[in-house]
Amino acid sequence: MEYSDEGRDRRITQLRKGILELAVMGVLYHERHYGYSLVRVLCERGSISLKEGTIYPILARLDRDGLVGSEWVESDQGPPRKYYALTASGRRLFDELSQDFDSLVSLVHRKWKAPEQPELVGKKLAVRKG
Amino acid sequence: MNNYPEVVAKIAKDYLERVKSQLRLVPVREQNEFLREIESHLYEAYQQTPGEDDVARILAVLRNLGEPAEVVSDRLAGTMVRSGTKRNVPLYVVGGILIALFGIPLGFGGLGVLVGILAGLASMLVAFYATAGSILLVGALFMLLGLTRTLLPHIFEKLVVLGLIQFDGPTADFLDHFSPSEQGLFMILFASLMVASGFGMLRLGKYVLRGLRFLFSLLFDRMRRFAQLLRRTLHPENREAQRYHERQPADGQSAPG
Repeated sequence: MEYSDEGRDRRITQLRKGILELAVMGVLYHERHYGYSLVRVLCERGSISLKEGTIYPILARLDRDGLVGSEWVESDQGPPRKYYALTASGRRLFDELSQDFDSLVSLVHRKWKAPEQPELVGKKLAVRKG
Repeated sequence: MNNYPEVVAKIAKDYLERVKSQLRLVPVREQNEFLREIESHLYEAYQQTPGEDDVARILAVLRNLGEPAEVVSDRLAGTMVRSGTKRNVPLYVVGGILIALFGIPLGFGGLGVLVGILAGLASMLVAFYATAGSILLVGALFMLLGLTRTLLPHIFEKLVVLGLIQFDGPTADFLDHFSPSEQGLFMILFASLMVASGFGMLRLGKYVLRGLRFLFSLLFDRMRRFAQLLRRTLHPENREAQRYHERQPADGQSAPG
């Protein structure tokens, strides 16, 4: 049975949602960014199309948990920008989470050897009811 | 706003208003900070969006940003939890002290005392609102008198002659030192003070009402628990049955399969 486009899109969205927080932490690990520049980096380096507003709930969550710090910086070109950077505890958590993530990625990409199938030809298969 | 063309500024302002309305439960300081952040995002995104048509550019920015509800979603949930906790802690302390003083040691008597106190508080609240209403009424009447004395002094004097307006004693002696328009001004000032006091009392009453509502809900909760305790004491077989039912799932899990 062929999968539907809708089902595929839904799964892609779920997958991205789960990983986006980790990706945000990854970007903020070494660099500080304001909301819009963070979106640009994720879209350009990560080649993903992202609804820009989704970044703010993630930043709010990270901020609430003390994983990012923020500061307002005046801009020459317009209104002040709120810059975010990962805190020390955010970095420690990211290190742990990225290890877990690597394990999951290697699990997904692992070349599984197909188990040997028992010889079924000529045998009667019992059908269990109930 | 931010050197936008007028129509773009209007669209951006409208969007920010919608974000603000989503944040109505969030503390004002946090609300303002988040609005500044979104305002900054709009500006940056608008500058980076190519195109000749200003309206099409800002609409593209807003489309990419998403609906206000999506943008504020997580901030709202967290704030609701925090503000709820912050608001209830002192009242829980007050409720706890009242229950500890009267409810637990004295049983029925204690609950009776508690109900009495709460009834007294409710009466005070009614009296408080009645006083606020009276002050407002007096303020409005004095405002009317003051305006009449200033703008229509002959009508005021006719009303005094007819006995409908009476000033006696030291008030009358004091006012007689001034001209009619000055008297009117005094009355308007007094009326303004009264009206301001009345509105102040109404505003304060909102908090008193909130605290009292909490104490009532706490009392009803304690009464419900007390009734449950009483029922279990009077009908111990029900308690045994309840214990038996509570044990059932645990026994089932530990049974060998």
